Amino acid sequence: MTVAVERRTRNVTAALLASPSLRLVGKRLLMAIPITLGVSILTFWVLNLVPGSAAQQLLGVEATEEQVRALEREMGLDKPAWVRYLDWLGGAVTGDLGKSFVSDQQVTTLLGERLVVTFELVILAMVGSLALAIPVALLAAYRPNRLFDRLSMVVSVSGLSVANYVLALILVLIFAVQLGWFPAIGYVPFTEDPVENLRTMALPAAAIAFPLFCFYTRFLRGDLVDQLLGQDYIVTAQAKGVGPWRVLIRHAFRNSSFGLITVVGLNLSTLIGATVIIEQIFAIPGLGQLMVQAINTRDMMVVQACVIVFAVVTVVANLVTDLLYAVLDPRIRYGSS
Amino acid sequence: MSGEPTARRTEEVLDLALPTTARGPSPGGPLLEVRDLRVRFTRGGRVVNAVNGLSYTLDAGEILAIIGESGSGKSVSTRSLMGLLPPSAQVSGSAKFEGTELIGMPEKEMRAWRGAKIAMVFQDPARSLNPTMRIGAQIVEAIRTHRKVSKKEAAERAVELLKLVRLPAAERRFYEYPHQLSGGMRQRVVIAIALASEPRLLIADEATTALDVTTQAQIMELLVELQQRLGTAIIMISHDLGLAASYAHKVVVMYAGRAVEYASAEKLFANVRMPYTRALLGAIPLLDRKTHELLPVIPGQPPDPAALPKGCAFRPRCDVATDKCLEAPPLKEHEPGHWWACWHPAGSEDTAAGGRAGGRADEVRVGSARQVEDGA
Repeated sequence: MTVAVERRTRNVTAALLASPSLRLVGKRLLMAIPITLGVSILTFWVLNLVPGSAAQQLLGVEATEEQVRALEREMGLDKPAWVRYLDWLGGAVTGDLGKSFVSDQQVTTLLGERLVVTFELVILAMVGSLALAIPVALLAAYRPNRLFDRLSMVVSVSGLSVANYVLALILVLIFAVQLGWFPAIGYVPFTEDPVENLRTMALPAAAIAFPLFCFYTRFLRGDLVDQLLGQDYIVTAQAKGVGPWRVLIRHAFRNSSFGLITVVGLNLSTLIGATVIIEQIFAIPGLGQLMVQAINTRDMMVVQACVIVFAVVTVVANLVTDLLYAVLDPRIRYGSS
Repeated sequence: MSGEPTARRTEEVLDLALPTTARGPSPGGPLLEVRDLRVRFTRGGRVVNAVNGLSYTLDAGEILAIIGESGSGKSVSTRSLMGLLPPSAQVSGSAKFEGTELIGMPEKEMRAWRGAKIAMVFQDPARSLNPTMRIGAQIVEAIRTHRKVSKKEAAERAVELLKLVRLPAAERRFYEYPHQLSGGMRQRVVIAIALASEPRLLIADEATTALDVTTQAQIMELLVELQQRLGTAIIMISHDLGLAASYAHKVVVMYAGRAVEYASAEKLFANVRMPYTRALLGAIPLLDRKTHELLPVIPGQPPDPAALPKGCAFRPRCDVATDKCLEAPPLKEHEPGHWWACWHPAGSEDTAAGGRAGGRADEVRVGSARQVEDGA
């Protein structure tokens, strides 16, 4: 009897574990733990190697050795690195990322403020690049090797070969200095003035989005044309009498979208990296700017937190990509058969 | 264009009591008349002659088999009828379908014909269905492309079509994806898509090649049944002479983009004239042959369509070829209803020719073990 019950429970657990998406989520979340730990240790170690301390920075060059040492003792910086790491880790698992050495603010509060700004920038860049890339790629694939296709090729190849900070400066020169359509730098919170907020975000978002747009256009156009020329189900659709646009969108693009989602998901970490530089150029108070400032002032707690956030976002983005793929692609949704 | 005519047609399709079709051979000439069809591809300066003057006629409700090796132009010739070739293809000649010229028809006009009057079933059912769309949606799309019916009506008709092609549990399968079906079931779905608008002509492009033998027979039986019940003419493209002998009314044997022998199936198989057809027949494995005996094969390779040999294209591989064969033999009606293109046709009464063929078979067996290995 008990054996039977036990077996049944085991079967239920097995069934739950057998659910491919659930298992994927569980596995990925478990994997996120060692990744985050590894990143935090690495960051802590690297920051420890950086010459100069927060105390030195706070007190300035004039400060005496004794003064610096006293402040270090006060801040706990005199303890060995592994003790400080464990202290930090103990706080981090309970949601306390410590206090900024410089502003004495809670790091979590700082992150909260800055994260929203970077998030908006990332979303704008991602949506903008996709919203442009999809129609352009479809138009290019509609008549491969014709004028529009060639043109989009030239634009995207040149776009891919320009670094985004160079592009940012060019954009400022044209749209802010020459035409005066957008402000060159600055930031207005969305809650204060939505229109002005979008105006300030337009150029930085464009600087991040353009290389992405070029990449997505190339990728999608290539995948669409490959299918149009080589896939039997495309011929089946054409043999039904389905029109070329419908073949392109319903049959070819539908299949390409899975690959596109993967690429977009994998690109997210690159995108976040881009915000660090772009936020500096446009003086946007996002996470990237916070991190750069914190590095300059040796504000270890803040740097550590920023790096962790970037790592977690990357892990989560990859997980979401995989899940989205599983939700959209029926062949994965139903497991292997 | 309301739902009413659709409903009527559906009844027609599903009326199992109806023994054969009312649509006999059309009174106003053949359903399809292909005359001197030529297809040429130009790729980077290289000219490939895929089809070099193909002619045949097909009556309504008839089954025509086009037989030939890979690269003989079978598929290309039928795809050109539907305008499904890439833009690099140059098509010339004439193909009249119910009196309307298909070659050179504007793409927009052609689209109205595709699927509606001429439909196609492809070789590999694993690849010819869109993996990301439900089966039902793919059939509904075929229906709604040519008829203004509501989604619901189209869905009902799609389920009926699935039943017509004898897909088990049609209602459930409607919501499934191609990867959830077996190869035979997928091919049934592809056939259901092809039948969505009740085409007058169905082109089965190696429709059973990718299937195992049992499924192959089932799909062929289904096609014949549909041909008999709906009066759909069928062009079956195959390299399997046995299949053609069992199911086709007429047979075209193609070699290097040309028809080399053309007759009714009975006539052709009773009295094979063209040495190429004879060689093909000789290459069929037979049960009464000794086990482990090498199969007779045709020596040499099919000619490169970019560099066809002078005269008869089969000449380099033919054992009865003479200097006369340097001049291309025309496809002529040498006997009533039997066309062939050969200067030295094999004659069944001609004992000398029969002896020659026997001797040849031995030579082939010895001379081409390498070919057999290549083929394996």
